[in-house]
Amino acid sequence: MKTPTLKSYFFRILPALLLILSGLQVYAGQGGVVATIKKATAPFNDEERVASVPLLPGDTVLVKTKYQGGIFWTETRKDKVERFKCSQCHNNKDVTIAGAAEMAHGDITSVHGGKQKPLSCFTCHKKDERDFLVTEKGLKVDMDHSYRMCGQCHFRQQKDWVGGAHGKRVSFWAGKRVVKNCTSCHDPHSPLFEKRWPRTYSRPLVK
Amino acid sequence: MDGTKQGNNMDSRQNNDCLKQKESNQLQGKQCGRREFLSRALKAAAVGSAAMVSGCGTGLLGSSEESALKWQEYFKKNYRLMTPEEKDETIARLERLAKLRKGVDIQMSSTEPVEDVLFGYAFNLTRCEGFMECVAACVKENNLDRKSQTQYIRIFEMEPGEMTPESGNGKYFHKVPVENHFYMGVQCFHCENAPCIKACPTKATWREPDGIVVVDYDWCIGCRYCMAACPYYGRRFNWNEPQVPVKEMTKKQHYLGNRMRAKGQMEKCTFCVQRSRAGRLPACVEACPTGARVFGNLLDPKSEIRFVLKHKKVFRLKEELGTDPKFWYFID
Repeated sequence: MKTPTLKSYFFRILPALLLILSGLQVYAGQGGVVATIKKATAPFNDEERVASVPLLPGDTVLVKTKYQGGIFWTETRKDKVERFKCSQCHNNKDVTIAGAAEMAHGDITSVHGGKQKPLSCFTCHKKDERDFLVTEKGLKVDMDHSYRMCGQCHFRQQKDWVGGAHGKRVSFWAGKRVVKNCTSCHDPHSPLFEKRWPRTYSRPLVK
Repeated sequence: MDGTKQGNNMDSRQNNDCLKQKESNQLQGKQCGRREFLSRALKAAAVGSAAMVSGCGTGLLGSSEESALKWQEYFKKNYRLMTPEEKDETIARLERLAKLRKGVDIQMSSTEPVEDVLFGYAFNLTRCEGFMECVAACVKENNLDRKSQTQYIRIFEMEPGEMTPESGNGKYFHKVPVENHFYMGVQCFHCENAPCIKACPTKATWREPDGIVVVDYDWCIGCRYCMAACPYYGRRFNWNEPQVPVKEMTKKQHYLGNRMRAKGQMEKCTFCVQRSRAGRLPACVEACPTGARVFGNLLDPKSEIRFVLKHKKVFRLKEELGTDPKFWYFID
């Protein structure tokens, strides 16, 4: 009887080999978009790649924290506050108008901090320098950098805001990262969004 | 074969064109020479007929210029087979047609995808409060039909524990948000492995290199196979001629995006291709008052979307179908 050669062995296992190879091929093709994302670690230069990246808008300040891509900017606050600077009225001179406090800040109702520990004006505002805010640790904070105030309690939201899971970018996904400040969306005196009617409605999917 | 060779040698420019089209022709399974011949014959016929029609003057078909343009439009190629010059020509024709028909000055573009960009989207289920600002912005930006109230985005009001919008309430109309409910937005998910693309018999829909699934409206025959194939109800059909008041029309348009569709054509969310390829956020993201929508480049390690995918609990809808959508839901 003839002993089987190497060649005949090869032909016998050929179907199995083909099966394994095709399986590997399919396996390599799997993973889809998640695998593509994991592979993409090279930095992307927005300025070079995207043709029409915008210039930095005027009403922005450089945020004092860094995110995963370096530095980023946020919208200013001071130019959106009516009657800033506060020290125009809040100074050493006496205010002689009757009911001035009510007249100036009557529109502000503070709904912040819950019923147990409601915040007062001077939880955030600096008493002796009214143009500034002050943290619990006594750090003087410019009103444009009000995110530093919010982060004292809402540190989880702040972490997400720095990374990009909370809040939103302003108009562009490309170019220099400019995000909305906390106060762009939330009223700092009553930060919760109010209930309201939806802007529009949907038609039923199936009639 | 001989004829093809001769033809190519005669005109070097044509030869170049042929080389460029080699890939696309393989797609069609036709030879370069025959295709060139056919398209030229058609063009000649088009020009001749246009001259004939225009000879009849203004009549039933509107102005002679309009009918000539319409005639030329009729013989254009699929967008993927067009050369840059042909794209410019058709865009010029479409801009002129819009001016003639409705008196609108539109600016249409055919901006190509940016290299090393793959668009991705994330939706924060904790943050969405169902205000539907995104829906309104989308309708306005994408020139959606006001008559049949076409909307690309649907927002569902969901009970806690529900995971699929099929059991959610998509027809709510009351003050939002309602306690102990969450809101889930559904739109086209721009799947990497999109079933709608496979279903299309005319290759009128495809995935662009930056991941956006687009439709060449003029190659759509309205069979609605893609609509049936999509497991997410992401596609919309024009049952009537779309009606958009000229005042409200978005003038900045893209050939594959928000240009005016016609009756019997399929349309869908394009991640606002006219905006996103210019570096801007889609209209829904920009309009969202709660910041529930995150959009960005998946291939950019510093983008917000990558942060969400890395640090948040994310899931995709009907992931078991293997459609590989580029739209994630996440919770804070």
